[in-house]
Amino acid sequence: MSENGFLSFLSIDYGTIILVLINTFILFLVIKHFLFGRVNKIIEERQADVRKTYEEADKSMAHAKELETNYNELLSSAKDESAEIVKNATKKAQVRSDEIITNAKTEAGSIISRANEEIAHEKQRAMSEMKNEISSIAMMMAEKIIQKEISQKDHEALINDFIENVGDDAWQQK
Amino acid sequence: MGFKLGSEEVVVNGPKVAFKVFGLNVTETVILSWVVMAVIIGLVLFMTHNMSKDNPSKKQVVAEWIVETVNGMVRDSMGSKNLVYAPYMATIFSFSIFGSLISVLGLRPVTGDFSTTLAWALITFFMIQYAKIKNDGILGYFVGFSKPIALLTPINIISELATPVSMSIRHFGNVASGIVITQLLYFALTGLSHAVGLSVFPVFTIGIPAVLSVYFDLFTGFMQAFIFTMLTMANVGAAYPEEEQH
Repeated sequence: MSENGFLSFLSIDYGTIILVLINTFILFLVIKHFLFGRVNKIIEERQADVRKTYEEADKSMAHAKELETNYNELLSSAKDESAEIVKNATKKAQVRSDEIITNAKTEAGSIISRANEEIAHEKQRAMSEMKNEISSIAMMMAEKIIQKEISQKDHEALINDFIENVGDDAWQQK
Repeated sequence: MGFKLGSEEVVVNGPKVAFKVFGLNVTETVILSWVVMAVIIGLVLFMTHNMSKDNPSKKQVVAEWIVETVNGMVRDSMGSKNLVYAPYMATIFSFSIFGSLISVLGLRPVTGDFSTTLAWALITFFMIQYAKIKNDGILGYFVGFSKPIALLTPINIISELATPVSMSIRHFGNVASGIVITQLLYFALTGLSHAVGLSVFPVFTIGIPAVLSVYFDLFTGFMQAFIFTMLTMANVGAAYPEEEQH
């Protein structure tokens, strides 16, 4: 088949076939191991990652749901509790305010009665003071007007009458 | 192989025998296939070097795309049970396409040697026989040749043998015709340069063969690699029982 070191154009050469088979097998091993082996491994790892991520997401979701129900329970119980607290506080405040009002009322009553007493006392004092004042004024006036015409006896009788009249209500109203 | 063009003869040679080992010819084809292997292995090692699960580099994306594409094609034509064939399909496709594309560099394409394509077709042939024996049993395998009727047995055997022959000759013929036509074209263009008095510098051989090269080297190289791989997948896949669609 050889001519000048060349094979003929359409030839079947066993050496070439065997060596090409060996070459193909070697290339197959390299591609299988280094290309497909490595890439498939990476892809599988990535898929495993994705699966793991999904599982974790599901787990967190379930956990979150659990927490939510817990919190809802806690929240409703807290609401009840707070309502109770508010109710108690309101009751206490009512009692306290009632107490304060009663106290204030009693105090006000005592203040008023004391003031009334004082007023009455003051009035009494003013009245007696006025009696004395008026009697002396009347005496002075009487002395000036009647000087010598009225005797000592008449004089005294007149003054006493006058003083009696001063204590009357009728006079007071004038 | 020679062509007479007027008084001159164009000789289109087969692969040159570089040396002999244990009586086996180590030809141009084998040496160039080592070059092709080195290129492919280099590319594979480069692409899959330092791969990262979380932030893949561009070369890793390319590697993943190649693997996913081949896996997808094998899954479609052979079923997902036969994904073990995917690395072989990638091997034969890359070997074929790079083996044809080295002709762009002015080298003799590896696939332009009938021995190469015959070797690959033989692998396909034995894969088909292996798959049939594995699925039908050794008895069922031989009984299978007499179906649907015993009269068709010789035709079944011929069609079985025709598969590797047609596959290898198709691939070889397409690439080899490119070699022949390119050589004829060079001869003709050199002759044309002589005719117009430019024998020192054959100006017509620049540019014009490049246009043809795009078709014969790039297009044919890709097409034949694809056809050969698809036929291998289809024929081997057909040897397996139909997988239920899922």
